[in-house]
Amino acid sequence: MKHARTPLFSLVRLIAIALSLHLSLAIADDYSDIADLMRAGRLPEALARTDQALSARPKDAQLRFFKGIIQRDSGKANDAITTFTRMGEDFPDMPEPFNNLAVVYASLGQYDKARTALESALHTNPSYATAHENLADIYAKLASQAYSRALQLDTNSATPPKLALIRELSAPSSTKLQHATAALPAAPAQPAPALPTPAPAPVAIAKPAPITAAPVPAKPVAVAAAPVKAAPAPVVTATTAKPAPAAATAAAAVPSKAATTANRDIEAAVRAWVSAWTARDVRSYLASYARDFATPGGISRSSWEEERRKRIAGKSNISVKLNNLTISSTGNKATVRFRQDYRANGLSISSRKVLELSKSGERWLIVKESISN
Amino acid sequence: MLGTVLGLAAMASSVQALNLRNADQNAAPNVESLSRSIDGVPEAQLIGIYKLIGQGRQREALEKAGKLVAAVPNFQLAQLVYGDLLAARARPVNSVGDIPDDVARSAGNTLNDLREEAQRRLKALRERPPAGTIPSQFLELSQKSRHAIAVDASRSRLYLFENTPTGLVLVADYYISVGKAGTSKSTEGDQRTPLGVYYITSNLNRKVLKDFYGSGALPLSYPNILDARRGKTGGGIWLHGTPSTQFSRPPLATDGCVVMANPDLETIIRTVEVRSTPVVIAPQLEWIEPLKAHAAVQPFETTLHAWRNAKTAGDVGQILSFYTPDFTSNGKTLTQWTPTLKAELSKVQGRTIQLKDVSYLRWTDTADTMVVTFGEVADGTRTGLTKRQYWMRQGDQWKIFFEGTP
Repeated sequence: MKHARTPLFSLVRLIAIALSLHLSLAIADDYSDIADLMRAGRLPEALARTDQALSARPKDAQLRFFKGIIQRDSGKANDAITTFTRMGEDFPDMPEPFNNLAVVYASLGQYDKARTALESALHTNPSYATAHENLADIYAKLASQAYSRALQLDTNSATPPKLALIRELSAPSSTKLQHATAALPAAPAQPAPALPTPAPAPVAIAKPAPITAAPVPAKPVAVAAAPVKAAPAPVVTATTAKPAPAAATAAAAVPSKAATTANRDIEAAVRAWVSAWTARDVRSYLASYARDFATPGGISRSSWEEERRKRIAGKSNISVKLNNLTISSTGNKATVRFRQDYRANGLSISSRKVLELSKSGERWLIVKESISN
Repeated sequence: MLGTVLGLAAMASSVQALNLRNADQNAAPNVESLSRSIDGVPEAQLIGIYKLIGQGRQREALEKAGKLVAAVPNFQLAQLVYGDLLAARARPVNSVGDIPDDVARSAGNTLNDLREEAQRRLKALRERPPAGTIPSQFLELSQKSRHAIAVDASRSRLYLFENTPTGLVLVADYYISVGKAGTSKSTEGDQRTPLGVYYITSNLNRKVLKDFYGSGALPLSYPNILDARRGKTGGGIWLHGTPSTQFSRPPLATDGCVVMANPDLETIIRTVEVRSTPVVIAPQLEWIEPLKAHAAVQPFETTLHAWRNAKTAGDVGQILSFYTPDFTSNGKTLTQWTPTLKAELSKVQGRTIQLKDVSYLRWTDTADTMVVTFGEVADGTRTGLTKRQYWMRQGDQWKIFFEGTP
């Protein structure tokens, strides 16, 4: 049904536009006022102004970010930690809160927590995680060269490090903090290498060493570098048990120690499951499932396994990509949600998946697998 | 990744204990008075890097290390700390030279040698001789010796002194290497550095030397008279430099020579005089106040003057009582040398003998000896013989067991 373009409608539209414009201007005023107060060192006033603005817009990322910085600059380290931690939970794609969380932890001498927070910051944009990993590899290579010179050993035979290539540009994120860095006087809010945008883009990046990607002659999409001989194969988000550098986005790395370790393990288990699936390693794929896994339709375990075996081994190539991964866990139970893009032999299916995992001994195993709406 | 640098921090904590201001004061004369050379500077920069690590300023330390290895790429110790600083950017570093075991093993003992070199350098800079003190061997040095050198083998350190009119002044000290088997040389091929009082006998032109010897060589007078008396063999003990592939060598590395980094050796060569520069090599130097040194001269000086007076008096028997029965002089026994003595006496013709420009160097190990050098000048003459005597204390009496020209 079409709306008639009545004069009334046009007026309403104009008013709506004016209001939103006014609102944007008002918001911009708040930001610059608060930034001015912070620059002038008038922190209690800045905090009051921020709280006032937050009462109207409690979810506003920029305001919350300001608040965290004001708290940190005022010496309220624990308050700043709370603020930035909550931001990290609500905006898992933003590197800035994680970076600042690390800054506060480091100032308290809590270096392990700082490290975890910085790793989370890097994982908000997989491209930076890749660059950082590559940089570490380069440092390691330079170190070994220096050591060889120190010991007067010949290094000519050593193989050069294989760095991970990025094949896709990441898209800008709508959750970017527009005013964060520019407005502020001091540097603390600046993430160390000024990250431009955290990206939710489906860039799949794999670490050089432990890739199990199968070469796929399908469309060239993101990818795995290093030891994979195949060409610009798409594929995978293969990773290892290491705190996943790769793939999609929001690793819901909640920066509290125990939870983070568990979530890392859970994510690693999920990625190992994907790896096996992609590599068509049926044995490892099936081993990702718990013994009491709820088979679809309640069929017998052996029937289900046989079905999976046929579906997987029967394909000449499989590509599975995960996006928007979120993990929530308590104790030995976890729920993992993600968008799964499955491609195989010309078939292409995208779905929102939910995996429920249970910890058995040291391993996280899948007990339930379903599609959500 | 945040890298923790535990091992480096551990070493650096010993750097914290360094009273680096003192070290800087001692290092300053290096740079100021010998500004054209770079002696001592690579070590100073290395210590600076350790200091930055200790202060947690690792980015600056890395930058400084990068510059040092670019300037002196064969300074293996600098490469080691550079490697550690680079590695620390990628992973935690747990020890000095955090090299994988298999790589370290393939280099034999090199890693341990480097760590030992680092420890010795740091220690020598941390534990400085008290200001104004001198090694106990230098009781008195005449102005005929414009410089003096003392080597402390346990510290892997060589100390260079200028002999000013007001006494010995420490002007520089450098890291050195001694024999693979340590010190106390006694036989040819034993790979030990000799201990004792020596003199620089010549200055070998680097053009005739192999690359192995680096910037040059200053041969030392091993075996000296005391060594010969004790039947020690061997020779070719030099002060020399390092090959072009290696800036400095491990603390125990040589076949007996004393080895220095080339810039440091170049300074020595440029500075000291051949034949008149004493080189004391001791397992460990004892540093004393100059006044105490002068005081120690007095009892001996009395004996020396008594000998001189006996010579003035021309009483051969009395003179000979100052000599040991097993005295030698260039192969002659005391009896064979007595005619030489008489010839000297007849030249003097009863004039009073003055001893000019007397130097006293004391060497004490299993025996207490004094190496005395002087000009023996008769009154009314302008010149005389320059003599070197080796005295040995027997009980509370000093006796001469060698006399000759230096």
